[in-house]
Amino acid sequence: MTAQTTAMEALQKELDRLNRAPGLSATEDRVDKIIEMLTSVKDQIVQSGMDTHVASMSITKIQNPIKSTFDKINDDLKGVTATQRKLGKTLDKHFPLKDLPSTHDAMADQESLINRAISMHLLREGQFSVASTFIEETGDAATLENVNAVVEGQDQVSASDNYDDEPMDEDRDDDDDDDEDDDDDDDEDEYMSPLEGAATGLGFRQLQNLSSLQSHELEAKFSQMYTILQDIKSRNLLSAIEWARSNSGELEARGSNLEFELSRLQYVWLFKGPRVNGLPDNELNGTAGALLYAQQNFWRFGNRYIGEIQQLANAQIYARNLSESPYRHIFSTETAFADVASSFTREFCSLLGLSAESPLYVAVTAGALALPLLIKYQQATRAKGTEWTTTNELAFETPLPERMLYHSIFVCPVSKEQTTEQNPPMMIPCGHVLAKETLQRLLKGTRFKCPYCPAEGLEKDARRIMI
Amino acid sequence: MADHEASKINHDNHLLLDQPLLRLPYELLRKNFRSAHFTVEKESTTLNKLLKETAKGSLDGKTSPEDVVKNLDTMIAKMRGMKRKLSTYANKETRLYKQLDARVAHLHELSDMHSVEDVKYEAWSRKRLDRLLVDYMLRHGYNTSAQALANEREMHDLVDVETFLTMSKIRESLENGSVTEALAWCNDNKKELRKLQSNLEFLLRCQQYIELLRINTPSKSVEAITHAKKYIAPFQEQYPDEVREMAALLAHRPTDKNLPPKYATWYSPDRWTKLATCFVEAHNKLLGLPTFPLLHTALSSGLSALKTPACHGTQKTTSSSQPGHSQTSMTSTVCPICSIELNELAKNVPYAHHSKSHLDNDLLLLPNGRVYGQAKLDEYAAKAGLPEGQVKDLVTGEVYSRTALKKVFA
Repeated sequence: MTAQTTAMEALQKELDRLNRAPGLSATEDRVDKIIEMLTSVKDQIVQSGMDTHVASMSITKIQNPIKSTFDKINDDLKGVTATQRKLGKTLDKHFPLKDLPSTHDAMADQESLINRAISMHLLREGQFSVASTFIEETGDAATLENVNAVVEGQDQVSASDNYDDEPMDEDRDDDDDDDEDDDDDDDEDEYMSPLEGAATGLGFRQLQNLSSLQSHELEAKFSQMYTILQDIKSRNLLSAIEWARSNSGELEARGSNLEFELSRLQYVWLFKGPRVNGLPDNELNGTAGALLYAQQNFWRFGNRYIGEIQQLANAQIYARNLSESPYRHIFSTETAFADVASSFTREFCSLLGLSAESPLYVAVTAGALALPLLIKYQQATRAKGTEWTTTNELAFETPLPERMLYHSIFVCPVSKEQTTEQNPPMMIPCGHVLAKETLQRLLKGTRFKCPYCPAEGLEKDARRIMI
Repeated sequence: MADHEASKINHDNHLLLDQPLLRLPYELLRKNFRSAHFTVEKESTTLNKLLKETAKGSLDGKTSPEDVVKNLDTMIAKMRGMKRKLSTYANKETRLYKQLDARVAHLHELSDMHSVEDVKYEAWSRKRLDRLLVDYMLRHGYNTSAQALANEREMHDLVDVETFLTMSKIRESLENGSVTEALAWCNDNKKELRKLQSNLEFLLRCQQYIELLRINTPSKSVEAITHAKKYIAPFQEQYPDEVREMAALLAHRPTDKNLPPKYATWYSPDRWTKLATCFVEAHNKLLGLPTFPLLHTALSSGLSALKTPACHGTQKTTSSSQPGHSQTSMTSTVCPICSIELNELAKNVPYAHHSKSHLDNDLLLLPNGRVYGQAKLDEYAAKAGLPEGQVKDLVTGEVYSRTALKKVFA
């Protein structure tokens, strides 16, 4: 058992004790008692016709009972405080307040940047109403404009790559099927309808805020993404396929399989028939419907996915006992929709020049992992009397899990330093790599000897590489 | 394996960001209890005294039965009042117990998780991020947003909206030139402030004095002196220099020509801002809250841990995926530091220290100086539908023959 589990358990135990013990509410009952006693004395005196004897007797009589009730209240309170204090001791013991690094706050003057990061994070998460409130409260509209400028720049590029000139069909309203005439750039108009139509619970005031903000482009994009994601969630792939089609040029340039992935899943979904997919039982559904779909749509993929398409076609033969067929893995849709949803999110964000996962989330999670090391280092240096001055590089290691390592890192085995733009990695003719400064230190005139192998070389034969 | 180690959750220190989470309700509990206790003490003493007097008076014949009844009414009213107060305290206590339960439960969830790769960990970490965001918003006064987010995520028990709202109100009142609320708060927390050796109350009293002097009429000056005698003189031992300066202010008014700077600062309007800051500091210290929003702490260490020299470089390196047209699906996981959201923010933090290289296997050098792992090149070539002997640069899109590639040993 780790120290943490015992800590949590100890805490839980104290908490349970706290909950079982009488709290302040018990004293209320005792106060009631006192009120009762006082009231009864008053009644006695009044009923006796304000008799002096009754008055003095009765009031003297209740002195002690009242006093003892107060004593009991005090005892109760003592009990409450004792239990609470125990909790405090447990907290002190197991969760002592450690000094968080407070001497140097790198984020101190960056309020507007942090606000912007938060706004975008909220938008990514689909928290449109909170985002709009936050943007308004921080007066952040201006800074989001800048983001939009960058994002829009991306959009221009991708738009020019579309050879399939269908407009992005944002509208999911039933009566708006003929949106073909809408311009791609007319995001403003298209933007209002999905939200209005879907009535996603945004108050009218917030809707007004959203549309009155200069920066609604970004929200429009995310809102579109969320609309499509909702569709995928309810097993409707059409809007996603539409989007993939209208961006197929860009997607292909990226080497993305999204359009095919979506079409294939649609085929599989139709294949499963009305009982599984809940769609009307007609010629567009079932194995026949799937075949029809394939005939109408798979031509787009040319020769690229010929193997996969073959498999899908062959599966028709096994329609009756798919689970026994060699293709059953293609037809298991348990995670397929979730997978395609995340592929879609990734591609959609990438086309906007944004990462698929919220950078703020990754940064904070990484921070939680790195913080203990920072504190340990600070404590160690403080003990030695030195200070952690902000140089360019941290003075201690902060290992992160693989998926949080986004860049290649080259550490020169000789100098043990990371390569940078000023000190880039150099490859020498034998194929080994050294940091430039290391190489220069090894030079004897214009020649050097590789530290790893007997090979020698001239300075001019070393070339800078980019990892 | 190195990655397994890095992914492991170290339970002993993973909760550093969560310390105030448990501390605050506890401190509030204690504060609540003290208030209840004080009320009981005060009222019971008064009542017992009145009771004794009435009884004695009645026995002595000095108090008539009518008066006895009158006193009884007073006592009943007092007790009713005390009960109402106790009820409020009891309710608060119950709410705080509930909060503690919820928070301990939330932190307890972590003990079942052992790796950051755990699916449940992600949900837990997102909850933590939400908490940090609400905390940040509250500290900066974005109260509406904080409440909106807390409502959206239904995490009221995990955040301390009420506490910060109260703090906000007092801070605003100070910024608007009123000491009343702040003084009331000081009164409520006298003992603790004394323990902390806070000079807040002193500064507030000085400010009242200064405001009286600012009016610069004879009657106000007299008022000021009375005020000083009552409220400032007691601090003579503690803050002798300041008290002396306060006395000197009598002779130096804000409208004076050539007002010496040290007196000018006392009269300056940004004293109010200083007072507000002083209050916030005292408030946070009292309740065991960290000086900076926890989000700052998490961000600065997180940004550093993620940052590499390449993140702010001018070269479009192979592995960094800055937003660009020539992006591929395979290099698409954009580094958070390179992202629009964080790039600017991370400019001034140090980058992470690595003692080991982190590169693809089987590196190959393309004629354009870029280096990729063989697996990546093969995959991309297949996706691009290239013939057998060719590869394509994932970033620039240039196509090369495989024979032009050189092996790299790094």
